[in-house]
Amino acid sequence: MRLKKIESGQKLSKKLILALIGLKLGERAPDVLRTVWYRPDFFGKHYGRYLNAAMRGPSEWSVGERELFAAFVSRLNECAF
Amino acid sequence: MKSDATSQKKNRIKPAEPGRHAEKINILKDRVLEGPGHSDPRLRQAVAHRVAAHAGALPKDDARLPPEIGRYIDKIALHAYRVTDTDIEALRAARYSEDIIFELTVSAALGAGMARLKRGLSALTGGEDAA
Repeated sequence: MRLKKIESGQKLSKKLILALIGLKLGERAPDVLRTVWYRPDFFGKHYGRYLNAAMRGPSEWSVGERELFAAFVSRLNECAF
Repeated sequence: MKSDATSQKKNRIKPAEPGRHAEKINILKDRVLEGPGHSDPRLRQAVAHRVAAHAGALPKDDARLPPEIGRYIDKIALHAYRVTDTDIEALRAARYSEDIIFELTVSAALGAGMARLKRGLSALTGGEDAA
């Protein structure tokens, strides 16, 4: 992470989860998790509720279709999905 | 069968959706752009506005950001993948704390996301400014 606090300022429970994900993946857990778990009252908690409703909640689009839109947009933004 | 498929397809893009997540979006915007933090909320709002203006969702405004913030924010708005450690170092050198940099970065990302959402929904409802 470019901001050291996002690396070091995680709750212990989240540090454990990140370590487990890292072990499971065989590589560093995605930084997006660190970003949404850092100071969750400022951003991550509220973003997560919206994201979950949009990506998993009732919709005319299937979950797979919505994930495909997200992957496509990330590609256009040159952002690893 | 064909007409069924067609009407189903029409249903999928009927423009009844824009308000579906409005409450959650408003909470998110309120918290990030107006809530307590290490940075002045007015600075966060100016950042989000500048990014939205880059995306064509809001008119340009002349709210002046400190130049080092402006350079960083413009980079996020136009090509976030080009941000490097050097950009963060420049902000640190200008005595911005990591929490302030975090808040301004989130504000910029939110401004960019909301601008895209606005233009996308506008396209669904037949708006002409979504090109």
